[in-house]
Amino acid sequence: MSTASLTSVFVRLKLSLLRNGLRQSSGRRAAFIVSMVVVLLFAALQLLGLLLLRGNEHALSLVVLLTGLLALGWAVLPLFFPSGDETLDPTRLVMLPLRPGPLVASLLVASLVGIGPLFTLCMVVGSAVALSHGAVALLVSIVAVPLTLLVCLALARTVAAANIRLLTSRRGRDLAVLSGLVIAVGIQFVNFGVQRLGDAGGLAALEPAAAIVRWVPPASAIGAVDSASDGAYGAALAQLALSALALVLLLRAWRRSLTKLMTTPDGSTLAAASEPTRGPSSAGRLHGLLPEGRTGTVMQRSFKYIWRDPKTKGAWVSSLAIGLIVPIFNALQGTGSIYFACFAAGMLGIMMYNQFGQDTSAFWMVAMTISSTRDAYEELRARALAMLVITLPYMTLVSLLTAAALGRWHDLPEVLGLSFALLGAMLATGAVSSARFPYSIPQDSAYKNVAPGQGGLAWLSLLGGMVMAALLCAPVIVLTVLLNASAGSGTQGLLLPVGAAYGALIAWAGVRIAAPQTARRLPEILTAVSKG
Amino acid sequence: MPDQTVDRAGGARTAPPAVHVEGLWKRFGEQIAVAGIDLTLPAGSFIGLVGPNGAGKTTTLSMVTGLLRPDQGRVQVAGHDVWLDPVEVKSRIGVLPEGLRLFERLSGRELLAYNGRLRGLPGDEVDKRAGQLLDVLDLAGAQHKLVVDYSTGMRKKIGLAAALLHNPEVLFLDEPFEGVDPVSAQTIRGVLERYTASGATVVFSSHVMELVESLCDWVAVMAAGTIRAQGPLAEVLGDAPSLQAAFLELVGAQGRDNGKSLDWLGGGAR
Repeated sequence: MSTASLTSVFVRLKLSLLRNGLRQSSGRRAAFIVSMVVVLLFAALQLLGLLLLRGNEHALSLVVLLTGLLALGWAVLPLFFPSGDETLDPTRLVMLPLRPGPLVASLLVASLVGIGPLFTLCMVVGSAVALSHGAVALLVSIVAVPLTLLVCLALARTVAAANIRLLTSRRGRDLAVLSGLVIAVGIQFVNFGVQRLGDAGGLAALEPAAAIVRWVPPASAIGAVDSASDGAYGAALAQLALSALALVLLLRAWRRSLTKLMTTPDGSTLAAASEPTRGPSSAGRLHGLLPEGRTGTVMQRSFKYIWRDPKTKGAWVSSLAIGLIVPIFNALQGTGSIYFACFAAGMLGIMMYNQFGQDTSAFWMVAMTISSTRDAYEELRARALAMLVITLPYMTLVSLLTAAALGRWHDLPEVLGLSFALLGAMLATGAVSSARFPYSIPQDSAYKNVAPGQGGLAWLSLLGGMVMAALLCAPVIVLTVLLNASAGSGTQGLLLPVGAAYGALIAWAGVRIAAPQTARRLPEILTAVSKG
Repeated sequence: MPDQTVDRAGGARTAPPAVHVEGLWKRFGEQIAVAGIDLTLPAGSFIGLVGPNGAGKTTTLSMVTGLLRPDQGRVQVAGHDVWLDPVEVKSRIGVLPEGLRLFERLSGRELLAYNGRLRGLPGDEVDKRAGQLLDVLDLAGAQHKLVVDYSTGMRKKIGLAAALLHNPEVLFLDEPFEGVDPVSAQTIRGVLERYTASGATVVFSSHVMELVESLCDWVAVMAAGTIRAQGPLAEVLGDAPSLQAAFLELVGAQGRDNGKSLDWLGGGAR
């Protein structure tokens, strides 16, 4: 088959995949159209911004770094969204009689189809326009723009092909699911980084980085436009050549890994066969520490899932990290209040929500063993206890650290009391909403935490639950305000036992209320959590 | 009903039916999955529920085992109503559903330990039974591996072990041989035969007729949400040479064009 006809086959395949994906559900179609509009709007705004940047003294730094960032995104994206593009997985083509040369060319062209490439094109065109002054620069731009786009795409494809073994194995998928965590925690750091940049004298701080990146492909192609505008034609040519060389090297590397992939046996089976087994040791020891019966059994499984299930682990680690970062960083920047320490209780309390959705459809095993309200009560209580084993010491630690960072030790008992009350309220509302509003958590993606069509339900449960939790805490909050207003020196210490007792009572009541509903609604819960 | 408690080994004939279903309906939106079926499955038998894909087998088994609420109808297992008396029913049945996950981040042995303890069995007894089941089902070598890394056959076997752990009276298996290699299938078969020989009941769904014919002594044929025939194997077979033939006749799938339009297929000209 000739390269041209193969290319048209792949382009049509890609369009069909896109179309059929949209045909699956109206929700997906809506999501696609919305994301399309948002991306295009964003791209248009960026384009406008880049056009306005024309002539600005920092234009080169910004534009070059932007291109570098885009390329980095393309390199990393396939690792995070392995299932996003089915044509990315060349192992699906193994059985077809295709030569690697035409295959590489047609896959590259096919990957031009999509929102991502369109967005990138907008960015790159904007970048080129922002920098180009004069006829020669315009000419260079005409070469630089497609070159940059192709390098980005080739980069994504090469990285994906090189890592396909990892991406299709269980461990790789686990890694991809955990990547959500990197982003969630990363955003916090970026947030504080940007604040720092604002303090440190603005964009001039970017100059040294830009001086290097303008020689790194594919940003060097954009750098060439600037060089050409300045009349440094030699430098422009060299920068263009660098990007072109990068493209050639990437395509060769991609071709090599494609050839290797299509001529060697599937690695996932080999990896599965040699999967290390775990020793029986830890399980036995844990059994000894926990109570007998359902309580200990359920707690033990909860702990194992926090450690072993990437989705649960990701949710826990990001809750723990954000619960710590927000109060501490705010305290260190001098903008914080000690009451931010309660944030940890709120973040961790969220983990009690949708308990059965976290089980996925394996909930049937639980459902088969719950035949009375008593069983349901023990099940929910055990899950709450497992949470408390982690959250209680952690919350105390966060409160201690926040108090230390602010130097307000005398407020510690008050904040702890509030935290305990809030956690109790979150556990209570979490238990009830687990029984009333269960929803599926898709297991294959790090970013989808709700199955299609259940988004409203999830928001209702979480938002309604949090409002309820705040209302339930109101007595303790009012007491705090009153005690602070009366300014009595010793009385604030009272809030610790009061908050703790109130939290315990309310959590117990919540579990009690949720238990009969859980026992009654087992088939409905199973149906709701089996959609992912 | 104290007179219904009978000696499982001897008095199978006087026992209540293993499963009794009356007027069972289930509708998903526009589609009627199960359209008013009546079933009476005798205790102590090896029972096959056969039907093409989409006949409503899984929906029926889910409703019988209490995992799915029927729109209408009554289900009794071993003389107890599934929806009114879950305490009696859930301790008496074992289930291996199709298309639902297991707790896959547990190892095979941990899954059994977890399941047995949830069922309220004492810890030592669970570990003893789990060890024996793992041995018999040929999973001892993989017992400390996570279930997520198991093959289809291993998953079915560990699911079967979990369903057998509390020694149920009636075992419901949805497509237990689907995607299972011949060696694992033979192992599963051996365990099930031993289990029914002691007087317990197995109800399993399948669309592999040869398998049902060779294993079962009682068959119910399902198509398009209704029961087309039920009874002892010989009765359902009638004059037909095989269950396959009898089945095709019952669901009316015979005499389709066997592909005159495919005259280019095969050796000779390309």
